[in-house]
Amino acid sequence: MKRFLATTAATLFAVTAGLTAAGSAAAAECPSGHFCVWQDSNFGGQRANWSGDDGWWESWISDTDSSWANHGISGPGIKDHVRVYESAWQGGSMTICLAPGQEVGYNGAANDRGDSHIWSTGC
Amino acid sequence: MPLATTPLARRALPAAAALALLTGCTSVHPDAPGPPAVPAGRAAQDALLRAAERRLVDDCLADRGIRATAEPRAPAGDRALQAALFGTGPRELSVTLATGATVTAHSDGCLAAAKDRLYGDQHRWFRAQVVVDNLRAEAQARYRDDPAHRSALARWTACVAPPGRPRPERPDPAESARCARESGLDETRARLERAELTEVRALHRDELTTYRQLRDGALRRAALLPAPTPPPKGDTTS
Repeated sequence: MKRFLATTAATLFAVTAGLTAAGSAAAAECPSGHFCVWQDSNFGGQRANWSGDDGWWESWISDTDSSWANHGISGPGIKDHVRVYESAWQGGSMTICLAPGQEVGYNGAANDRGDSHIWSTGC
Repeated sequence: MPLATTPLARRALPAAAALALLTGCTSVHPDAPGPPAVPAGRAAQDALLRAAERRLVDDCLADRGIRATAEPRAPAGDRALQAALFGTGPRELSVTLATGATVTAHSDGCLAAAKDRLYGDQHRWFRAQVVVDNLRAEAQARYRDDPAHRSALARWTACVAPPGRPRPERPDPAESARCARESGLDETRARLERAELTEVRALHRDELTTYRQLRDGALRRAALLPAPTPPPKGDTTS
């Protein structure tokens, strides 16, 4: 019985932790057809959004980006994926590639590193 | 009365089933001759998948009284579209990449519903798609700190934004490309990426297999998707 309770408690904890992590933030507010970048994690703080490419983000958002969301609209032949780079004009490494509807609330490795992005039909 | 099955009715049932197979059901029967062909080329396949996904998304949005068009919307209307398209519930789709990024998505929007129908399992597809889509990002993260890459990138940076001069507001992309060639950055990255991509693809063999299997299934489903229903009367916009 003791073992059963312990297992149940562990399971409950795991489920709760999972739900908390998954549901910690509300839906990201990002216009449809746009790629959005926030200065804070979990889609908070100042937001920059683009419907097109930007080879060199403005200084207030470049290297201060902490969360990202792709709200592109898909369709045949439409460039709906977003590639994010750590240098202007895709000079550095690509840190992430997002399909429409995909978001990143925080990324320790890519935090405050973005400088440019392009839309493409794939990654 | 329904229980009083006559011998005739008993014979009629299999006959009706056979007739159904010969008519409407033959088009979805996997062994039926001449199922709709899946195109061979990658570009044609992508186009088929995108068209099918868009169809399913549009149908789902229409059921919620929303039409996805390119025309600008008022903020409230756009929020309704975002919610219906991308979902609003907990981010049940979640994958943490080797690069450290946790990519998430809602599982309750029309986009998620379309992927679930097309790929058969939106959770498995999400995982495979995010990992496969970011193989290059993962490979680049692995060689990012390689000394050869670091020095090539430093030469590129000095070329596009020479020290002592203010950062150009909008550097010329052609200049950037010239610098990438002349600094050796292009060549260095191509060399390092080839090696790292091989490694990364081997590490993610399982996800690559799942990706191919689910994509093949989606292509078959997309080819079977019935023709779009005509727009409602009086609707002249796209």
